[in-house]
Amino acid sequence: MKFLVSVALALALLTLESVLVKQAGLELGRVDVTVVLVAFLALRATLMEGAISAFSVGYLLDLMSGQPTWLYTFLAVFIFLVGRLVPTFVEVRGALAFALFSMAADVGHSLLASFFTWLTVKEDGPGSQLAEMPLQVALTGLAALALFPLLRRFEASQERPAGLLR
Amino acid sequence: MWSLLKRYYRPLFVGFLLLAPLGAFLLGGSKGRGPNFIDRAIIAVTSPVQQGLTSAIEGAVAAGQNYLDLRGVRRENDALRLENLQLRAAVQALGESRMENERLRKLLNYAQAEPGPEIPARVVGVNPVAKLLSVRISSGEQQGVFRGMSVVTPDGIVGQVIRATGGYADVALVTDPQSRVAVRVQRSRARGTAAGTGGGPLKLENMLRTEDVEDGDLIITAGTDGIYPPGVVVGRVTNLEKKEHGMFQGADIVPAVDTSKLEEVLVVGSPYSAMAPGGTAEGASK
Repeated sequence: MKFLVSVALALALLTLESVLVKQAGLELGRVDVTVVLVAFLALRATLMEGAISAFSVGYLLDLMSGQPTWLYTFLAVFIFLVGRLVPTFVEVRGALAFALFSMAADVGHSLLASFFTWLTVKEDGPGSQLAEMPLQVALTGLAALALFPLLRRFEASQERPAGLLR
Repeated sequence: MWSLLKRYYRPLFVGFLLLAPLGAFLLGGSKGRGPNFIDRAIIAVTSPVQQGLTSAIEGAVAAGQNYLDLRGVRRENDALRLENLQLRAAVQALGESRMENERLRKLLNYAQAEPGPEIPARVVGVNPVAKLLSVRISSGEQQGVFRGMSVVTPDGIVGQVIRATGGYADVALVTDPQSRVAVRVQRSRARGTAAGTGGGPLKLENMLRTEDVEDGDLIITAGTDGIYPPGVVVGRVTNLEKKEHGMFQGADIVPAVDTSKLEEVLVVGSPYSAMAPGGTAEGASK
C-alpha cells in the first residue's frame, strides 16, 4: 500500500511541479519532491517496501527529466538505504526534524547527482553545477514541512486498529 | 544454494535495485534511453494532466491580466500604430530584396532548398530536474515529431527534440549545459559554436581569434550540425573577449528566446533517422 501511495504521490507532485516551474519561470530553482518522499520512506517503511518504492519514485523522476539515465533511480535507492541508518543515531520526530532530515538528504542527493553527471559529461568541474543547490535545498525543506502532515495522514490511514482478531 | 538464496533474498533483491540502475547509468546513461512501454504509459497518463493544469492556470492568469491590460490600451495602440508603419516600410524594402534575390537565384540556377514541415506545439510542462533543462510539448509522433528535430519560435532557436512518444515530446533547451549549436555571425559569416551554460547567456566557442566579431552582432544557426536549419536567430554577442594570444576568442550570446517563458513553439527539420541513408521518420521512434 505504501508503494502505491508513494508512486501516486510522486507522479502527482512531479506533474504539479513541472507545471508550476513553467508558470513561475524558474530556470534553476527546483523542489526535490522525490527526495522528500524517499526521506519519509527511509523513516517509516520496511526495507523491501521502501526500496521498491524508492526505486519507482527515482524511475519516475528519471522519466520526467526528459533524458532518462537511470541516475535518479540509483540515487533514490541509495538515499533510502543511507536514510534508514540515520534514526539509529538521531531521533527524527515532528515536522521540523523531518524537514531538516529531508534537507540533509537533498544535500547528499544533489552532491552525488552533480558528481555522477560530471563523471559522464566532464564539461565543467562538479562545483559549477552546485550554484543552485542552497535555494533548492531550502525549497525542499519548505516542501517537506508542507508535505509532512499529508504523509502522516496517509500513513495513519494505512494503520489498522488493533482488535481481538489480530 | 537454494536455501542460501531463500535466506538472503531480501538483501540480494535490494542490492539488485541499487546496483542495476548504477550499472545501467555507468554503461550508457549519458546517452539517455528510448521510451519503453512503461515510459509511454506514464507519459500518456501525466501529460494530459500537465496540459490541463497549464491551460487552467494560464486561463485564470489571462482573465486577470485582460482587465489590467485594458487600462493602458490607448497608449499602447498609438505606439503600435507607429511601429506598424515602420514595419510596413521594412516589409516593402524586404519584398524588393526578396524579388532581387529570386532573380539572382534564377540567374545562377541556384537549387532552392525545400522548406520542411512546421509543426506547432504548446509547452505543457518543464522537467523537474534542474540539471537537465528540458520542456514537454503537446505534439509527438502522431503529429510527425521525432527525436532529433529542432524546435524554434518566430524569435529564434529553442532546442532539440530528445524524446517523442504518442502525442507528446521532450525538448532539450539550447541553454542546457550539454547543448551545442553550430552558429555563424550574420554580418561577417564567421563560424563558431554556441554552448549552453545551464541558464542565462550561451557561450560562443571555437571562434578563431582572427574572425570578425563585435559586441551586438546577431548570431544565427549555421546549419552545419545537421540538426538546426540554417539562418535561425540564436542571439546577440555580448562581453566579447579578444585575447592577446591563443587560437580562439570568447564571448557570451544573449539568447533571442527567453526559454523560461516559452508558451508556443514550432517543430521543424528532420529526425535523426532521416539523416541516416535509407532512414525513415518512423524509425526515429524506435
